[in-house]
Amino acid sequence: MISTWRAADWNRLLILVLLGGVLLIMLTRAQGAETTIPAAPAAAAALAPAAQVDHPAPDFTLSDLTGAPVSLSAFKGQVVLLNIWATWCPPCRAEMPAMQAILEQYRERGFTILAVNQAEDAASVAAFTQQYGLTFTTLLDTDAAVSRAYQVRVLPSSFFIDRNGLVRVVYFGPMPRSVIAGTVEQLLQEGR
Amino acid sequence: MYPLIEFGPLRLSSGGLVVLIALFGGSWLAGRIATWRGGSALAEQLERCFYPALLGAIVGGRLWYGLFNLDLYGRQPLQFLALSFGNMAWPGALLGSALAGWLWCRWRGLPAAALADCVALALPFALALGYTGMLLSGEVFGMPTSLPWGITMLGAARHPTQLYYALAALGSGALIWRQMQRTLPIGSLAAIYAALQGLSVLLIEPLRADSLLLPAGIRVAQIAGLAMLLAAIAWARQQSLQQARTSQLPYPEITQEG
Repeated sequence: MISTWRAADWNRLLILVLLGGVLLIMLTRAQGAETTIPAAPAAAAALAPAAQVDHPAPDFTLSDLTGAPVSLSAFKGQVVLLNIWATWCPPCRAEMPAMQAILEQYRERGFTILAVNQAEDAASVAAFTQQYGLTFTTLLDTDAAVSRAYQVRVLPSSFFIDRNGLVRVVYFGPMPRSVIAGTVEQLLQEGR
Repeated sequence: MYPLIEFGPLRLSSGGLVVLIALFGGSWLAGRIATWRGGSALAEQLERCFYPALLGAIVGGRLWYGLFNLDLYGRQPLQFLALSFGNMAWPGALLGSALAGWLWCRWRGLPAAALADCVALALPFALALGYTGMLLSGEVFGMPTSLPWGITMLGAARHPTQLYYALAALGSGALIWRQMQRTLPIGSLAAIYAALQGLSVLLIEPLRADSLLLPAGIRVAQIAGLAMLLAAIAWARQQSLQQARTSQLPYPEITQEG
């Protein structure tokens, strides 16, 4: 049947498919962030601090690469991605550029990254962050005390902490860029 | 996700391993199909295209991914050279291997259309296996869903987009094998493959949560899919009109030649 088609018929089909395709592409555009994080229960703030979803995040104070002390509690009111990592861990390295890009995208809306390095010396960590062009706060967990407090058994481990200081999402292993951005976007939208 | 298999100091991701098996299984199958359709000569010609096409796939897949993540890759251009399956994009790999294969065939005087038909018969099955590997490595994951077959991944029950793609590939494969029984111009199977692949991407990509995006949330893969579909129709148009012209040749002209 199709072999009896003339050029005009084919042209009509081409235009139809082109228009239909463009319409489909426009209708199925990606719509901002996905909403997957359940709201925190009202009583969550009264729970004991623990590295678990809907518990207040355990506080800590560590030195950054310049030796200055930095506390998690200082970032209350901001959305914090606490990422526990090491330079020898390939999946940790793999997600760093995406984390940097997302920090630049959301920093002004109240988003911070605390990258807690697990028990490596300051010089090699500094060399790494410089090589990768990372500007987020890098902290030295020299005796792995924070790793223990957050019960980290997998590197990287990521804890998303909301503006109220509650742990809202925990990921073990590397995170795709879209998941980091979606989680940050949603926690930022929750407001204060 | 991310199950790793340890071989002494080496760690292979099971997802990457399945993709490798799919790659070599697919090329083996294409070779068998070539032998069967065109004898050992065609199979040998197909073999001569394998590495150029593979190189095209790697370069295309990585370039595609890097260009649409240029804010990351522009900072560290060396990342373009990093070998990891995770940061490749299938539309780029497909277009890259098709382009490299076609150029190689032109340069070496190989029958591109006949070879493309053999590949079109094998590729859907390799692709179905490859997408199952993506399920293992947690890539190409879907949007959250409440449908009963949603799979839990990255904090939500999600569309198993990898399996949708795998099923679409199997369905396309079945359709192409059925078309093989008809007498069609050389290259038709490859065109049908391109049309079905384009259609699958257009329809399934919207359910994906980690699509590469252009501004305004437009999914790059869908543009490639639409282009493939249109190219296949344009090819069919040209074939059909050419056929109509040759069958309408004035009678005397044919007798003169005979």
